[in-house]
Amino acid sequence: MSDNTHVLDLLPAYVLGGLEADEASHVERHLLSCLICRTKANALQNVNEQLSFAVPTVTPPSDLKNRLMQRVQAARLQQMPPSAPGRSWQERFLPVWGIASLALIVILAAFNLALWQRLNQLEVVTAPGGMVAIPLSGTGEAPSATGFIIIGVDGRNGALVVDRLPPLDNGQQYQLWLVRDGRIISGAVFSTDEENYGGTRIEVSESLLEYSSVDVTIEPSGGSPQPTGAKVLGGPLFAPKFLITPSG
Amino acid sequence: MKSSIDDAQYDDERLISLIAQSREDALSQLYDRYSYLVFSIAVAIVDDRSTAEEITLDVFVRVWQKSGSYRADRAKVRTWLTHIARHHAIDVLRRQSTKLDSYTISWDGVSSSATLSAQDPQELTELSQRREHVRAAISRLPEDQKQALALAYYGGLTQLEIAEALKQPLGTIKTRLRLAMQKLCDLLQDEQELVDTSIEAVPAYSMNRDDS
Repeated sequence: MSDNTHVLDLLPAYVLGGLEADEASHVERHLLSCLICRTKANALQNVNEQLSFAVPTVTPPSDLKNRLMQRVQAARLQQMPPSAPGRSWQERFLPVWGIASLALIVILAAFNLALWQRLNQLEVVTAPGGMVAIPLSGTGEAPSATGFIIIGVDGRNGALVVDRLPPLDNGQQYQLWLVRDGRIISGAVFSTDEENYGGTRIEVSESLLEYSSVDVTIEPSGGSPQPTGAKVLGGPLFAPKFLITPSG
Repeated sequence: MKSSIDDAQYDDERLISLIAQSREDALSQLYDRYSYLVFSIAVAIVDDRSTAEEITLDVFVRVWQKSGSYRADRAKVRTWLTHIARHHAIDVLRRQSTKLDSYTISWDGVSSSATLSAQDPQELTELSQRREHVRAAISRLPEDQKQALALAYYGGLTQLEIAEALKQPLGTIKTRLRLAMQKLCDLLQDEQELVDTSIEAVPAYSMNRDDS
């Protein structure tokens, strides 16, 4: 009794993970646009959820929790910033290399591990050549998000690098906004990679030095004339009291 | 100075949010609530306690690492954990290249003294009742449907693999799974009404990708 225009017969196996990869992809694409099948899939998904209640219950060993917390603490101690040896920070910057100006590329090449760590500690840092790297902070919508703005000495060249932004739905992108005296203009529309890392060149007609702060929001693909979505990252563009000179 | 988590105050979604802020006490509380579930799923799939312990550790470490990507509008925390646990255990099973004995995988299990973890006595009662209700519903399935369902759920087999394992036509297996899930859908209708139907059906494979 299956309707060839629907995937109802495939849904039970789909929610169980019992389809071959190409079949599952077909179902996923169909569900995006078919309310009938999506409604049925929701009902079957609830059944799938209920099945976990039928799993015979077994008590884990009492020491397992301690082992977990030790593993988590060990992972935190071993956690390296992107520029640490063993995880080449140059590789993390590579998408930005292709976007930023040649001057920015040269300056970024001079950054070292200590500099990245200081950025992570939310310090504004001046780099050789008078360029500035300004850290941004995640918001309540994206508490783990980080990023920074790199601005050239003349304020005309700029780049944004972000990490750990929340994944987006299809049809969404991030948009960078530059704020000054209540005026907001768009600086870039961009996406992140599957690791939620990304970078983009900032393109404005005026000097970036003229703006007071930046925001990154979630917008429909292609961007919006004004911010419409949740703010995930932001910060003041300049905080002179935090400006420091790199030691090396 | 952060205060420690009061057990009565935080629901599952809030705990995940706190874990995303690197709160180890939140992870500890989540573990207290769901370690039995994750461990039980792992044991049911890999049939080895030692391996199941490692799977359980991996699942909660993954929660620690991926909590920032959890979306409450796509799945409840319990569902999310179940998916991570089930698919990780199936991956381990496949990597071990364990020859699947299709006739030993079943829904029948030793009734354990492990207690469910809940935030309050009423929730504990509801969880116990739901468990009995689901088990009773599964027991009403014909044996061939139960077997196919167990191979899909616990064994992580595709319809094609189940057909090969049981030496049955693919169409027969498709029918068994479809009838089993439909019957459970009908029998568990009351339970489903208690579930937040606004939660979107999470494509199994997209959640797998999220968990990797």
